[in-house]
Amino acid sequence: MSFNGIVVSAGIAFGKALTITTHMPPLDFKLLSSAQIKQQQQQLTHAIELLIKHLQHCQHHLCPECENFQLIDADIMLLEDEELQQQLHQHIAQFNVSAAVAIDRIFNQQAAELAALDDPYLANRSGDILCLAKRLISAIHGHLKWDLSTLTEDTILLADDLTPAEFAILPLKHITGIVLESGGLTSHTAILARAAGIPALLNYPFSKLSVKIKDGEQLVLDGMTGDLHIAPSATILAQLKQQQTQELQRRQALTAYKDLPSSTQDGHSITLLANVGNLSEISHVTDVGAKGIGLFRTEFLLMNAKALPDEQQQYKLYCDALQSLNGEVLSIRTFDIGADKEIPYLEQSHEDNPALGIRGIRYSLSHPDTFITQVKAVLRAANHGPIRLMFPMVNQIEELEHAMVFIEQAKAQLIEQEKGFGEVSLGIVVETPAAVFNLPSMLPLLDFVSIGTNDLTQYTLAADRTNPNLAKQFPVLSPAVIQLMSMTISHCKQAGVKVSLCGELGSDPRALGLLVGLGLDEISINPSNLLDVKAALVKGRYQDFIIHAQQVASLTRIEEIHAAIQQC
Amino acid sequence: MYQKTVTIVAPHGIHTRPAALLVKEAKAFTCDIMVECNGKQASAKSLFKLQTLGLYQGVSVTVFATGEQAQAAVDKIASLLITLS
Repeated sequence: MSFNGIVVSAGIAFGKALTITTHMPPLDFKLLSSAQIKQQQQQLTHAIELLIKHLQHCQHHLCPECENFQLIDADIMLLEDEELQQQLHQHIAQFNVSAAVAIDRIFNQQAAELAALDDPYLANRSGDILCLAKRLISAIHGHLKWDLSTLTEDTILLADDLTPAEFAILPLKHITGIVLESGGLTSHTAILARAAGIPALLNYPFSKLSVKIKDGEQLVLDGMTGDLHIAPSATILAQLKQQQTQELQRRQALTAYKDLPSSTQDGHSITLLANVGNLSEISHVTDVGAKGIGLFRTEFLLMNAKALPDEQQQYKLYCDALQSLNGEVLSIRTFDIGADKEIPYLEQSHEDNPALGIRGIRYSLSHPDTFITQVKAVLRAANHGPIRLMFPMVNQIEELEHAMVFIEQAKAQLIEQEKGFGEVSLGIVVETPAAVFNLPSMLPLLDFVSIGTNDLTQYTLAADRTNPNLAKQFPVLSPAVIQLMSMTISHCKQAGVKVSLCGELGSDPRALGLLVGLGLDEISINPSNLLDVKAALVKGRYQDFIIHAQQVASLTRIEEIHAAIQQC
Repeated sequence: MYQKTVTIVAPHGIHTRPAALLVKEAKAFTCDIMVECNGKQASAKSLFKLQTLGLYQGVSVTVFATGEQAQAAVDKIASLLITLS
């Protein structure tokens, strides 16, 4: 049986089902007999050994110098800790409780003690302790399913939700597809799945299916149709395999476009750049022939870190990125913290409406230390290659001026500290209607502008981008959003400022004609879609794109726009 | 008994990773090494206990040891406390 969810990345995926649940079996508090106590103590020892072995196994995938490796080392050391083991054994014997209950109590006590520490950074470690407790209790129950680093065969992952941080540690080599019960078209999980080229089905309530999906069962995720086939028949399987082969061949054929100049038949050139959310993705940028990075989402660097990377760490990271780009441009967007991207170790006060709260440049301006640290790292890296610096969520000239004051402060600090730095091009991400209307006042201060279509859509249509119920009715390609893009481009043209687009829309080859026809100079695309978009560019004529764009911009109905785009 | 008092300078204090390195070094000694900070004591060989001391920037920490190579052990651990970050 099959039913539809929202598809985020095309392609057909074959794999064994693996459901990730965060549910723990309830603790059993009944008092134990003395014979059982011995048995529980043995089970505890066994579980600790099991988990240590497991963690050591995970370490094989990492280099011993990297932070992650050392953090796993610390977990191992905690598990080996004699005082801890003694406490656990004593607790079992003294209170006649199971090993799981003892772990839960002792670790919770430890977590509470850590949480009470004055230093917020050290206090945050209490979360790690609780996480380790969860893993150890899982080990008692004999399953360590939460850890996917041991996967050896193609797997389709099923989960109710997946945070960007969780996504970042997935062993993507073995994850062929992802199925989530939640999420919308432009949620960050969707963006990450698309960037990695992994077919994903979102808003797909698989746990409510009449047939329960068992782990290990053969699944086929058809990213073309949005179907999930559970234990399909041999005939269907063969059909899908054939479709997959054709799709792969199509992709293979696209590689022919890699080294072609990115211009239309009638000689109009467009710069195609890549969107990048992590360092490993950078290798794909040059693979697909992108002329640099048009959007480097720096906040993803924070997601799996234990603390804010300091100036030196960020500097090194930006230099690494530059180095792998072989002299092409690196467009760094400053931390876009807030909204659906929460960073556990940063102080972010609770907001009823975070999408309309302290996010993007608003966060940066209210946290000057974090902002100046990042700007200093960027300026220092600019000594080694071409860097563009852009700020997210700027509405008003005051915000831009304020940010520029901090840039000057960062420069002054660098001069005082006798650290070398270079000049950067300055830009903003236009992602609110206010930014579009206020652009003329800001353009004299800017070297470039990048249109962020995901948030521009959310803020124009007042439709939460993470709400799956709204994704279909409130698309990017709607009359108001197209008007705002068109206004932005003409403001930029008048001022002679380069205009680029970095939203998800740029990764859809069907939208290419419209975007080029509207007059964009550059498009930043997910690496896995770049050659598709380039093919559409190379095959088309600029004059036709202009006419097409004029026609689309005159349409007033969403369905008409979609029909026109399909024909392009 | 030999003892030494130092002040933590690491911006994030002795958090998990440096604390783990410290424990590794402490375990190389056979003598008992204790760390005292904020009125709490912990064995330098127990990461679990050490974590709860709150070894953050600016706090004063006393390391003391008795037994074989006590002085070398205290010197080693004290120097790690001021250099690790």
